Amino acid sequence: MIAALWQYVLAGLVSGAIYALVAAGFVLIYQVTGIINFAQGEYVMIGAMTAASLASAGMPPLEAGAIAIVVAAVAGALSYVLAIRPARARGAAGVALIFITLGLDVALRGLGLIVWGTNPLSLNAFWTGSSIAIFGGVIQPQALWVLGADVLVFALLYVFFQRTYAGTAVRAAVASPAIASTFGIPLRTFAFWSFVAAAAIGGLGGVVIAPITSATYDMGLTFGLAGFVAAVLGGLESLPGALVGGFVLGIAEKVSGGLISTGWEQGIGFLILVLVLLLRPQGLLGRAVRQA
Amino acid sequence: MSATLAVRDITMRFGGVVALEDVSFQAESGRVLGIMGPNGAGKTTLFNVISGVQKPTRGTVALGDRVLTGRSVAAIAGSGVTRTFQTPMMFWGLDVRESIACALAAHEFGGIFPPNPLRSLVPSGFGWPARRAADAALRERADALLATMGIAELAARPTESLSFGEERFLELARALAIEPMMLLLDEPLSGLNPDEVEIVLQTIVRARDAGIGVLLVEHAVGELLSVADRVVVLDHGRKIAEGTAREVAADPVVIDAYIGDELG
Amino acid sequence: MPRSAASYAIGGFVLFAVVAIAVWFIPPYYTGLITLVGIYALVTIGLNLFMGYAGQVSLGQAAFVGVGAYTSAVLTVKLQWSPWLGLVAGGIGAAIVAYVLSFVALRLRENLLALATLALGIVINVVFNQWDFVGGSSGFSSIPSFAIGRFTFDLRAHAILSWLLVALGLAFAGALVRSNYGRSMIAISAGELGAASVGIDALRLKRQTFVLSAIYAGLAGGVYASYQTYIDPTSFGFLLSVNFVLMSVIGGLRSLWGAPLGAAIVVALTQVLQSVVPIVIPSARGDFQSFFLGAILIAMLVFLPKGLVSRFGEARA
Repeated sequence: MIAALWQYVLAGLVSGAIYALVAAGFVLIYQVTGIINFAQGEYVMIGAMTAASLASAGMPPLEAGAIAIVVAAVAGALSYVLAIRPARARGAAGVALIFITLGLDVALRGLGLIVWGTNPLSLNAFWTGSSIAIFGGVIQPQALWVLGADVLVFALLYVFFQRTYAGTAVRAAVASPAIASTFGIPLRTFAFWSFVAAAAIGGLGGVVIAPITSATYDMGLTFGLAGFVAAVLGGLESLPGALVGGFVLGIAEKVSGGLISTGWEQGIGFLILVLVLLLRPQGLLGRAVRQA
Repeated sequence: MSATLAVRDITMRFGGVVALEDVSFQAESGRVLGIMGPNGAGKTTLFNVISGVQKPTRGTVALGDRVLTGRSVAAIAGSGVTRTFQTPMMFWGLDVRESIACALAAHEFGGIFPPNPLRSLVPSGFGWPARRAADAALRERADALLATMGIAELAARPTESLSFGEERFLELARALAIEPMMLLLDEPLSGLNPDEVEIVLQTIVRARDAGIGVLLVEHAVGELLSVADRVVVLDHGRKIAEGTAREVAADPVVIDAYIGDELG
Repeated sequence: MPRSAASYAIGGFVLFAVVAIAVWFIPPYYTGLITLVGIYALVTIGLNLFMGYAGQVSLGQAAFVGVGAYTSAVLTVKLQWSPWLGLVAGGIGAAIVAYVLSFVALRLRENLLALATLALGIVINVVFNQWDFVGGSSGFSSIPSFAIGRFTFDLRAHAILSWLLVALGLAFAGALVRSNYGRSMIAISAGELGAASVGIDALRLKRQTFVLSAIYAGLAGGVYASYQTYIDPTSFGFLLSVNFVLMSVIGGLRSLWGAPLGAAIVVALTQVLQSVVPIVIPSARGDFQSFFLGAILIAMLVFLPKGLVSRFGEARA
């Protein structure tokens, strides 16, 4: 029983790591622009699909992965330039922006279907070899890449925001947009780069998870919604929260899926979301929300 | 019908800040009660508490024998206490006449709109002549209300096209449309030119003469004192003075509190 | 007033009459499409009331369609009820679910409301998938079609029925928005505090509108179930909810005529794209038309003059 539970936890860590990456993208964009980017999950799909199709055409997997991340980043850039920036320039706000990112999500997904169709693509693991034993449970070597990606991304984000001048400027701009703009801090440039970064992070997630789950046309929706829930759970205003939320969700899913039924694996995320919205909308690590 | 608004021991704390402390006073119908104080004295917070936007940490507000504290803004408005805001809250998408008609209709339903679900899910109008006539009558009443304020020409204007002063007028007219017993006006004169100020002051006087109790927060101390029957002065969340306009203007405590701010 | 309540009723029945006549002259394939447009238009009318007039957002409307469809299916297949009663029950079932959910969702605004309706929509779908009583992932088949006496509804009859409901739906919604209720909905969407200060209870009004939109969706679901005779959870997922938002936006959120218009455009476009694009791009598979629909949604929201933009809180100078 304990052994099975531990195995579920390990599985949950792996999926949770990707959720954390997607959630980090959400939080990044939300913090810098105030927008909830429904399209976030599709960058994962783009990363996974690009890497898988390049690799199956003969490119070495690591190269394919690197290019896939760039492609995802470009998708993020285009998302901002073609959809977000024009809308904001015309005064769109609030729910209109939600609909726009919804349109973005649907459009990117459709684009994926046009380019790659519905067949899943597989990607070879970066490290082949036998499973690694941890305290009686096993994980695949690829899982280390997944967790490693998490460590890398969150470390970079931490260093950027806490230790660099640019990161501090971004934090200042987020805290007081009006004041920041009078100082000449370029809010639109920050917004642009937040989309690029969030997309790249998502793409990286797709690249490292594809060897485990395959690249499927609907993985954008699955990971997007899960990353969503993770971000809200951890606190939309908190990057560390994204990490925490991701792992909590991943583990909760796998444990409830294993112990109760697969239906629970799908549903528990959304039950968690509803509970969070009801009881603690600011998330686990967020500060209290002001009254609307 | 007259009633007294009784504010008792209202205290408001957020985190470490005490916005209001043990504020008590009464407002009578048919009288204008001015509420004065330097910036940050807690005047808007006080209005927020009375109108139900915020719940006080302690204390009660009652209209006659009806307790208002703890009830929703809509319920309090339905009970006869309404307010205007520092930044006018408009019904974007409706024109001026429609905004007033909306308020009139809400009031017709006995205060809170919508009424119970069954009654309101039967739509109030299938285009039947009788219903159309009722709606026409409602619009006429809206026009009449605008006329008493001297702004009948605004009736067909879309809300989005109004100037700031016109927005203030609309908000005031809308508040009067629900025939309140107590009307809270939060800095209704700020941002208005002298002609507009005159219209608002006249409306306040007319409302008072019609028996409505007016609570007036206003930075333009001269205008406030010219129209107020009694005045309450707040400073740092506490009531520091109360009396007639003349008494308060001469009160050294009040003058002292205003050092650094202009006094009339 | 720009348009009277009666004009919606009249226009609705004109539309119905046009459809009722047209179905005798057009190929069956298009009759089927028209039925689908009618079903979707019905949902979109309700959605426009909730989103366009009352200013809220629902990203889970497909779930209410599903509740209506499943309620009707369960009653007609397992309890042998008449499909007509099933239809009504579908509307009631969706209303009940919406009423219960409103206590969770309607305390939230904008972003959080969007997320909540999204999540609830998916939870409901998961329930359909997992609950064996409603067939789990296999869904329901052999759902009886509508019948009057010995006449079982054929393709044409379904088209006429769905557009009859659209006409009635337009008439009701038209009367609602051209009344003080409609004024109050607009007042709330402008700002709940302003509306509250004249005695309008925003929460109650939102709840009523939410339930009403669910009734529209539930009835549409009831028709859908008997029309298709087969339903499964995949018919009522997130992507259908997004499609409804698309139909609302394309047609015009704060409009009732926009509902059938948006539904028609989306259905027509989907058909055209599904036929044409694979010829040009053979790799395209699945619901790829969502690329174009998504692009259109974005373009609408970016370029639509005033309309949508000023409705959703344009920044004031």
